[in-house]
Amino acid sequence: MYHGIGASKGYGIGRVTIYRDADLRYTPRSDCDAQTEKMRLNDALKLFFERNERLSERVRETAGESAAEIILGHMMMMKDPYMCSEIEKRIDAGQCAEAAVEAVCDLFIAMFSAVDDEMTKQRATDVRDIKSEMLALLLGVHTVDLSDLPKDTVLVAKELTPSMTACIDRKNVVGFITEVGSKTSHAAILARAMEIPAVLSVENATEKFKNNQLVIVDGIHGEILTDPEKGTVAAYVRLRMDFEKERAALEKFMGLETLTKDGEKVQLFANIGTPEDASQVIAYDGEGVGLFRTEFLFMDRSTMPDENEQFEAYKKALLIMKNKTVIIRTLDIGGDKEIPYLGLKKEENPFLGFRAVRYCLKNSEMYKTQLRALLRASAYGDLQIMIPLVTGVDEVRQVKTLIREIQAELDEKVIAYNKDLKIGVMIETPSAAILADVLAKEADFFSIGTNDLTGYTMAVDRGNADVAYLYSAFSPAVLRMIRHIISEGKKAGIPVGMCGEAAADPLLIPLLISFGLDEYSVNPTSLLATRREISRWSKQEADKIAESVMALETEKQIVSELSRYIHL
Amino acid sequence: MVSKKVTVVNAMGFHMRPAMSFAGAMAKYPCDVTICVNGIKTDGKSLMNIIAACIKCGMEIEISCNGEREEEALNEAVTMIANGFGE
Repeated sequence: MYHGIGASKGYGIGRVTIYRDADLRYTPRSDCDAQTEKMRLNDALKLFFERNERLSERVRETAGESAAEIILGHMMMMKDPYMCSEIEKRIDAGQCAEAAVEAVCDLFIAMFSAVDDEMTKQRATDVRDIKSEMLALLLGVHTVDLSDLPKDTVLVAKELTPSMTACIDRKNVVGFITEVGSKTSHAAILARAMEIPAVLSVENATEKFKNNQLVIVDGIHGEILTDPEKGTVAAYVRLRMDFEKERAALEKFMGLETLTKDGEKVQLFANIGTPEDASQVIAYDGEGVGLFRTEFLFMDRSTMPDENEQFEAYKKALLIMKNKTVIIRTLDIGGDKEIPYLGLKKEENPFLGFRAVRYCLKNSEMYKTQLRALLRASAYGDLQIMIPLVTGVDEVRQVKTLIREIQAELDEKVIAYNKDLKIGVMIETPSAAILADVLAKEADFFSIGTNDLTGYTMAVDRGNADVAYLYSAFSPAVLRMIRHIISEGKKAGIPVGMCGEAAADPLLIPLLISFGLDEYSVNPTSLLATRREISRWSKQEADKIAESVMALETEKQIVSELSRYIHL
Repeated sequence: MVSKKVTVVNAMGFHMRPAMSFAGAMAKYPCDVTICVNGIKTDGKSLMNIIAACIKCGMEIEISCNGEREEEALNEAVTMIANGFGE
């Protein structure tokens, strides 16, 4: 088995065709007749534009507008006035057209690769693609005809370029394997647009596989199985069928509101860890961000991020989400998340120790830097602040005092921020859950963090295999707490969300509907499935289930009773 | 010559699509179009140079137009950027 990056989901079963680059070697000359070389260049350019014009139309039909734009981008690069004048300058100096094109392309490849920015670096790939295409046209070299591949082909190549992808007949290609590429490269985007499974970044792929070899491309786990046995193939055929059925079923939920069966609207948000993840939320049709973990800004570095760096990151997420809600959780370090430069002492019981808001309130200057960055960013969208690991109302009041101090500073300096900024509490300790009525007086919203709430309520470390069996959000104690938190939030008239993994659990969803949860925050890839689960139940049905389940005494009974309902 | 400062507001900055539409729009005008980023001047009609300039969200850039129909060109340039290229 070989491993790579699963860049386009799905299972592809087929036979390998290895695509090798055309031989583009030539002898550079510097004593050419400029007139002749310019004519050769213009002929090649004419062919280049004709070909790409056709390609862009075809890609628009098969893979959509954004894929077609990649091809249009290539055409525009080749029309670039600066690029053209540089090529002509070199031809005027006696260089042959091939050498002139290559030199100018290499110049841009070097320029784009040198920039410390992923998006600009990827443009170097476009220029490489243009260069090979132009050289092939100038040299009259024919490249492999990708539009006429046998049925069930798994295409193996060094790199999947847009012009290659554009030629590919979607009906005959069932998988891609490449030596280079990442989840965000063109190849990945195009493969996803065409819904062809792809595993990228497989070292020496063009050497490892043989033409006509039977392989299975698992784009979900980023794995490739070679020469599978009959039974394995049959198993993957079933997986593929299930996957495709599921994909088609979920796609129907794109662009819809999140409604229960009887039409009651709830909010469906997503959890993210970096500003870039917000694009995924949009791609999977999330209605907001219910939990933006800010730890990424502080981890894997040697010094604290300053206010501006934090501000830029928060602002970026807000701009991507447009005016949708983005709930940002203030720093939640300690416990299992270590940050060396903060100089936290080793503790006997880190989960019960100096972490999250406890640490932040003791280090208020550092905390104020984050809060100030958050307040400034609040001018760019619907930012809401969430305080983690609260145990009582004092902590909330102290954070609000800090926020008021910062607001006064910002007012003085006439710096914009949202004056109606909402400040909510993450309910993840039994203390906060029991005191929900008290906390609701100070909080603008609640968000239930089921992971820690379960751990603290059951007094269990889920990393410890001997006791992990106790860790379950379906424990009657945890369920009663969840019910209590939601009901207290409702009494106080504030919205209650849930941002733990449990919010996407099909077994839990009917209970959450019955309790009246307002907002579900799940991983971006679970958004559509959660929307579907919510649509399965009416309030009345959910109430009936909750009534019978909440009367049970053990976790085992509850899970088996819920499973019975789910599989009706 | 006319010029104006403007802040880039779309989240992805001048990535491929905005850079294409910007260079494409500016190509219509006979005047020269220059983008000044952090003190470095870039040809606003050249897609390749715009990409190399790596213009990000939140940056303040200065657009200068010089020559025939400069007012019109500047107006369109600034509107495109301020509207976040419709993104």
